[in-house]
Amino acid sequence: MIDKSLRWLDDRLGISKGGRTFLDKIFPDHWSFMLGEIALYSFVVLLATGVFLTLYYVPSAHEIIYHGSYAPLRGQRVSEAYASTVGLSFDVKSGLLMRQTHHWAADIFLGSIAVHMARVFFTGAFRKPRELNWVVGITMLILGIVNGFLGYSLPDDLVSGTGIRIAYSIIESIPLVGSYLAFFVFGGNYPGNGVIIPRFFILHVLIVPAVIVGLLAAHLGLLVKQKHTQFPGKGKTERNVVGSPMFPTFMAKTTGFMFMVTAALFLLGGFAQINPIWQFGQYQPYQISYAVQPDWYMGWLDGALRVMPSWEWVGWGHTWPLEVFLPAVLFPGIVFNLFIVWPFLEAKITRDTAYHNLLDRPRDRPLRTAAGASVLMLLFMLFCASSTDVLANYFHIALNTVLVTFRFLVILVPIATFFVTRTICLEMQKAEGVGKRKRAVVVTRSATGEFATFDADVRPGDGHEELEAIPVPTFIDLTPRHLATGPGVRRVMR
Amino acid sequence: MAGAVGVVGLLSFAPGTARAASDPATAATTSAATAGAGAGAGATAGTSQPCTITSTTPAAPGSPISYANLPASCIPPGEQLFAANCSSCHGTDAAGSALAPNLRGVGAGTVDFWVSTGRMPLADSSIQATRKPPRFNRLQTLEIAAYVQSLAPGGVQIPQVALSQADVANGGRLFTLNCAACHTITGAGDALYKGAYAPSLHQATVEQIVEAIRSGPGNMPRFGAGNITNQEAADIAAYVHGVIQHPSNPGGFGLGGVGPVAEGFVGLLFGVGLLMLVSFWIGERS
Repeated sequence: MIDKSLRWLDDRLGISKGGRTFLDKIFPDHWSFMLGEIALYSFVVLLATGVFLTLYYVPSAHEIIYHGSYAPLRGQRVSEAYASTVGLSFDVKSGLLMRQTHHWAADIFLGSIAVHMARVFFTGAFRKPRELNWVVGITMLILGIVNGFLGYSLPDDLVSGTGIRIAYSIIESIPLVGSYLAFFVFGGNYPGNGVIIPRFFILHVLIVPAVIVGLLAAHLGLLVKQKHTQFPGKGKTERNVVGSPMFPTFMAKTTGFMFMVTAALFLLGGFAQINPIWQFGQYQPYQISYAVQPDWYMGWLDGALRVMPSWEWVGWGHTWPLEVFLPAVLFPGIVFNLFIVWPFLEAKITRDTAYHNLLDRPRDRPLRTAAGASVLMLLFMLFCASSTDVLANYFHIALNTVLVTFRFLVILVPIATFFVTRTICLEMQKAEGVGKRKRAVVVTRSATGEFATFDADVRPGDGHEELEAIPVPTFIDLTPRHLATGPGVRRVMR
Repeated sequence: MAGAVGVVGLLSFAPGTARAASDPATAATTSAATAGAGAGAGATAGTSQPCTITSTTPAAPGSPISYANLPASCIPPGEQLFAANCSSCHGTDAAGSALAPNLRGVGAGTVDFWVSTGRMPLADSSIQATRKPPRFNRLQTLEIAAYVQSLAPGGVQIPQVALSQADVANGGRLFTLNCAACHTITGAGDALYKGAYAPSLHQATVEQIVEAIRSGPGNMPRFGAGNITNQEAADIAAYVHGVIQHPSNPGGFGLGGVGPVAEGFVGLLFGVGLLMLVSFWIGERS
């Protein structure tokens, strides 16, 4: 039956050739190659839960009186966006689980992109011929951050409304065009006449995800086309790919992994509360809560805004708000542009024009590793700086002391990180077998009293086991029956 | 400044001293308490009424807030407690000194707030008085409050709040408008300028909330009846008591109510970290 329908399709579409190639695709086995899959499957969960949420969410700033089941809000004037988000949390079966899972999935989507990107960077997987895929990935990262912010803003609660207010000011801070741009995006002064929620909604649920899906297809298409990189090792060269075939080994592994990612996200969504907007209330321009931070992937921008000294310059009849423009526009611009141009920059500096399918060990490229660690540390310090008030309150330190301390830390810690990382890399290069568990040494004593030492067997899990060669499955029979000479023979007829 | 620290240090050393040396005060309160317990046991220390809140006066007809009437019997033991524990800074006549403000006319409610939250006597002379377990029991607190009230009329009274007449939803709206800017929307409190901070509201009693609104302790602004009516003050108290102190966390662990920083750490450590371990488990490691 399956055989028949596949043959029917193949007769018309010729899919078996492509399918054959795809099923035989070889994926190298290394645990760090699966980090990007966390992002992929988080994205799948995001799409699924997001579709559920759109069924109940009302993208409107129109004010109504809340009459839902959360008593402390009853009788308050709230926007339909807010009321529907509270409603889907309390009055829709499994609505809160879906909403929380969606939010956790967004946090983890971007978190896994970050670790995946770190893996690609530190192993030099972005080098020729994969610079384009690196750029596609960075674009998806930026879009992911943007879409996270848009989604975070949709419930129209007090905390996210404060965030949009900051975003409005950031746009305004751009010299010359700022106010016009802000008016263009927001349809007037924030919060304006309520056009921003429908705009954010359509960007969040349609336009940005559609672009991400397109880029994702390009990302994976390029991966298949260019084949996966691999770590150097026995039998692995620049001209081959050693690993498991797509079917059945990799398929089984990655499907299992998909279920595990989904399970982890739903566990968090079910047990860890995130963004309890019913506690925050509706956003009103004249209200504000203290201790408001954005989600973690925006935290470094918030931190940059916080540690920046309040430099402002008045000239040519205008106020130039450098204390907003420099940390919130120029700085992220530099960071993302640096990410994008890095492969080309590195190739130019090292004059390296060769193809690279074998990965670097991070220690063998001390400068690159040190530079990457330094930038990561800068972003991490800025992320910590976004919680100056929480740190000050928790540790009973004066807020000003914490802030001034962070001004030094965000500069000094990345510099120190650079030199420490570089030194560690150089030292590790010199020593043999660093980072590997040493084999145990067995000491024996013979009957005559003589001592002898020898290395024990490799510890379980440390050795590299070659997989048995697996015969290619033959459920898609490519050869017309009468021409077949045996199972699995591939001879494509036209 | 050194002198100030010295005196305050002396004062903060007072608990043991106060209890050991203020025998008269202890004796007075004990006798009053005995009188309260054994109702009708007769006059003690020259008073006919025990020091308990036996009657209240509504702030206005139908108001959810009424004020405690403190009997005159509270005043003498309160004077002794004040002399033993408060007068070294506030002065024997409560008129204040270089170290501490004048308490005449602040009202019993203000005293009740500072003493019942443990902020007075002061632990140290840092920028802000810290909430701590109170030195005095309820009876002693009322006695001190009654004594200070007896020195000058007016000020903030000790409220009794009828939460059943309060509107929690309106309290939430007013809390967001007036309180959340410092105390945060979840009432967890946060750091303010130069070591000052808005304290957490999770331990405040209903009476303390209304007293704080009306008296404006420390950096907090004072909200008079023109800003926040008695009904509104009761609404806010009901919201803090009912929602802030007992938040609805149907989504699982509340993560401390400090917002996305805690959520980010959970997401990265438990979410991404766990999934990295999973990939480490199912992937090759060589």
